[in-house]
Amino acid sequence: MRKQAAIIGMILCLGGGLAIGWFIPALFPAPPRVAVIDTIQSRGTFIVGTSADYPPFEDYYTNNDTYYGFDIDIADLIAAEMGVTVVWVDMDFDSLVGACTAGTIDMIAAAMTYNTDRAEKLAASNTYVTVAQAVIVKNSSSMTITALDNLTIPANQLVGVQSGTVMQSDLEALGMIAGVNFTTYPRADALMLALDGGAIEAAYVDEPIYEAFKTTYDIKIIFSTDPEPLALWTRYSEPELLYVMNKVIFEGYQDGTIQDLIIKWFG
Amino acid sequence: MSEVPDLTSIFFYILVTGLPTTLILTVLALGFGFLLGMVLAIMRVYGERELAWIGSVYEKLLRGIPVLVLIFIFAYGIPEIFWYLDSLYRQVASIILALSLRSAAYQSQIFRGAILSVNTGQMVAARAVGMKKIQAFRHIILPQAIRLAVPGWTNEYSVVIKDTSFAYSFGVIELTKAAYRVSVNFPILWAPTMLIAAILYFAVTYPVTRIFGQKQNKKLKELGIGGR
Repeated sequence: MRKQAAIIGMILCLGGGLAIGWFIPALFPAPPRVAVIDTIQSRGTFIVGTSADYPPFEDYYTNNDTYYGFDIDIADLIAAEMGVTVVWVDMDFDSLVGACTAGTIDMIAAAMTYNTDRAEKLAASNTYVTVAQAVIVKNSSSMTITALDNLTIPANQLVGVQSGTVMQSDLEALGMIAGVNFTTYPRADALMLALDGGAIEAAYVDEPIYEAFKTTYDIKIIFSTDPEPLALWTRYSEPELLYVMNKVIFEGYQDGTIQDLIIKWFG
Repeated sequence: MSEVPDLTSIFFYILVTGLPTTLILTVLALGFGFLLGMVLAIMRVYGERELAWIGSVYEKLLRGIPVLVLIFIFAYGIPEIFWYLDSLYRQVASIILALSLRSAAYQSQIFRGAILSVNTGQMVAARAVGMKKIQAFRHIILPQAIRLAVPGWTNEYSVVIKDTSFAYSFGVIELTKAAYRVSVNFPILWAPTMLIAAILYFAVTYPVTRIFGQKQNKKLKELGIGGR
């Protein structure tokens, strides 16, 4: 009986302790904020998240174990401005926003187009490059469209996009449903294989993807949108880092570094 | 893009860059899971009603949650629990934590079964020769229970090693991610590369289940304390 009482007491103490622990932090003033830019500089590394499966923006080259691509070079410029080196975290595109919000990564550099959904969660830098989106088909295809909503016509509905991208949001904004009216693929090259194999009739992608794959597959552009801005992303609580990001982008355009990179990667 | 590598070099690339991480994740998850699982098993077998109840609720809860959901909770939901770690290691830590907590639930079942399958008469006999309950457990029950648990435990090993592939989407370069990277570079090798990954997983899983599982079964039978 005494033993039981002791155990019940133990459980009550545990519960009570947890409850008190929940409320006590509110009684103390919040610890002083440490800007992530100070952490980056004291640590000497700038942790950038990407999804390295999207040439020519970012890819991982297994032959010599290096990351390469347009975004990789941009992030290196920002790191150089702060005098640190980049540590890449290579994860799923869909997971990037969550990881940045949770503070695991300091910045996202993954060819992420600006849209309001993302801007509600994370702070966008200024546009560092603009890309148009394009609807591509096989050269042998007779499909033609004059506007994006032509894709909703039932005869045209064999469309594929990369999952989690703005292209998917665009189609969803037209009332199309993933898995019903269009197919999503986790990666650009899977999308291209599906297009080439005939699983889908058309693919809706960033135009540089067309440039990257046009030599491999027999494809053509039948429709392209106005260029949309790509941004780098960080948390709203880190205005100092955002300032450095924007500074590098503006100065890169002023001295021509970014124009050179655009020629280097997009031809 | 340079020329397509041959399959042997892909094999060694995945072996060198991916396998060590996978094995480290597995060993850590199994190790922490072992400690917690053992405590839970003892709580369930020898604990008072309330302790046994806590153990049983934990085990039922954790057996009903997918490990990916647990990783998301720790990695993005409450990343503050790893405030003392550098942010680079928080995702790895959440993966190890999620895998260990889940594994602990299963391991507690394995050990509970093993402890219960040691004849209760042995405890009575040990008490009769003057051993305290804890001494009897430490010197009589536990050595037999651990031997009995080995075949079931190898099964848990084979589950955990495959679940480490969830780390793939959290920026940990383990076996699946290494294979994925090769495939992204050379889409034409998608199938053979993943086959190599499958062979590697099999190669580290099968020998363990074979040596520890089946051999141990035979030995248990020789010792006369169980086995098939």
